[in-house]
Amino acid sequence: MLGFMAVYNVRNREIECKIVYYGPGRCGKTTNLEYIYRSFTKQVSGKMVSIDTDGDRTLFFDFLPMGIGKVMGCDVRLQLYTVPGQVKYSSTRKLVLKGADGVVFVADSMEIRREKNMVSLKDLHNNLKGYGISVFSIPLVMQYNKRDLEGQIPLMNIDQMRGDLNAQLKVPDFEASALTGRGVGAALKECLKLTLKSLQRELKWVE
Amino acid sequence: MEKNAAFSGNLNFLSLADVLQLLGSNGSTGLLRLKSPLLNDVGNIYLVRGNPVDASTGSQKGIAALYALFGWIGGEFEFCLEDVACENVIQKSRMEVILTALKMLDDGEIEAIGLPEESPEDVFLTDDRFASAPVIKGPLIDYWYIVDEENFEAGEKIVEQGKHGNWIWVILEGVVEIRKETTRGTLPILKIGSGSFVGSLSSIITGSNVRSATTVAVDGVQLGVLDSQRLANEFARLSPEFKDFLASLDRRLRQVTDKAVEAYEKSGQIQKFVSRQAPIIAQGSKVESGFVITQGEAFVVRETDSGALLLADLYRGDFFGDISFLDIGHEPGAAAIYGSKGLETRAPNLEVLKREFDELSPTFHNFIEHMAHCITATSAVAGGFTEKESEPL
Repeated sequence: MLGFMAVYNVRNREIECKIVYYGPGRCGKTTNLEYIYRSFTKQVSGKMVSIDTDGDRTLFFDFLPMGIGKVMGCDVRLQLYTVPGQVKYSSTRKLVLKGADGVVFVADSMEIRREKNMVSLKDLHNNLKGYGISVFSIPLVMQYNKRDLEGQIPLMNIDQMRGDLNAQLKVPDFEASALTGRGVGAALKECLKLTLKSLQRELKWVE
Repeated sequence: MEKNAAFSGNLNFLSLADVLQLLGSNGSTGLLRLKSPLLNDVGNIYLVRGNPVDASTGSQKGIAALYALFGWIGGEFEFCLEDVACENVIQKSRMEVILTALKMLDDGEIEAIGLPEESPEDVFLTDDRFASAPVIKGPLIDYWYIVDEENFEAGEKIVEQGKHGNWIWVILEGVVEIRKETTRGTLPILKIGSGSFVGSLSSIITGSNVRSATTVAVDGVQLGVLDSQRLANEFARLSPEFKDFLASLDRRLRQVTDKAVEAYEKSGQIQKFVSRQAPIIAQGSKVESGFVITQGEAFVVRETDSGALLLADLYRGDFFGDISFLDIGHEPGAAAIYGSKGLETRAPNLEVLKREFDELSPTFHNFIEHMAHCITATSAVAGGFTEKESEPL
């Protein structure tokens, strides 16, 4: 049960998956979700819930991905969340992370945020461990955000960020600019792909 | 509980946020009733097609009542299917209510009633606690302190007991075995995996740079060389009390390692600890304080089926008792403390130590936890020899 968390909704014949955007404060998690909400209007159902939390905002909305067809005769509905960065919001973090099916880790490319990225990744690891989920097995993709600032502010190069954050995990990673939308759709799509694969594996729909 | 309840349970197990999400995705219509034994009060939440439309508790109504109910951590809930005729007082969507309420709870705007005690985190990651050479895996690696990477082939020695050196590595990939050279030959003590550390803090704490054990790559191993200057700088900034605590931890690790060697060399036939006095801390008892020795000696003793095994001698400046933020697998849960004549102690400020521990860099923090895991695992190894080899034929 621990690996498979998606909710199968019999009434609507839907599988609800939860994808969580995680990362240090002001790394661009909310910008990611805002971009998705604005650009994929046809796939967004319901309005975006936005809660102001200290230093950050927590966002949530439902998303019906198109073009992936049905899974075992069911539609797939995604719940997209961001997690508040601050330690004190433990109840919100717990609600969001509990039962997470996939995670997009948004790292900040700015040089001065190097340590913040690593601390946040460690937090993710510890928080998931609290729910019996391993950061090594959950569908996870990595996004190196704010690449649009190249030439304006000292940024880390991609190799360095890979070394810091992805050397052990070895998950698919993307250069991105949530502000312009570059790498946003690709990261979500890859995370969704991994999540569905993992669901199918868990349910032994495919051998 | 009502007889016609469609769904009921305990809020400790399924929180209100969980219950609302479940009823929400099920599109249920009816009355969700909460009972709090602490408040001797009930709360009512009316749901229409999975969304809360109204609520009441005590004198509160509507959204204010619903938010207040999120503070009921303990208690019971029951959901009855029924037609709901009340007005749509709450206009917010289900998830908006849930996320707002949890934020208010964390901000302290909603009173939390009946908080359960936090269970200690399970930090021990060995395959088998009492296997003679368990593999200890460390936490997620922090790459911040790594200045270089090195590769070792299977069987290659990384450090050699008795030789000089003060580098500290973190294992990035592969498994490393820690061995002690004894009069009976080589004794494998522990196997450590990715996230664990090779090398000891002694070089930083005491300036000693003689290697106390041999470490060998079991398979292809990749190590990250830690920036020891940075670690030394961080150590230098610690309070004197915290430095003493680390020194005491380092001594205890050395002592239990020596005990394991001794038990191995004497095939488990080591002298059992005998005391005429009652222990200061009995094994398995509940102690909620720590002690620092100011005079005299104390003994860490593990009671086993085959007798009492002395794990470590503690002297002036050593810490013992329940160090709340770090579990080394000794007293009070898995060892007793006996005192010598004239033992005197003082109380350390554990809160201040804990704060300092929490503020350490991830690498330093991980290193200390790694030491604690090694103390636990090595003690099990020492106990293992005594139990296995002292059994009468």
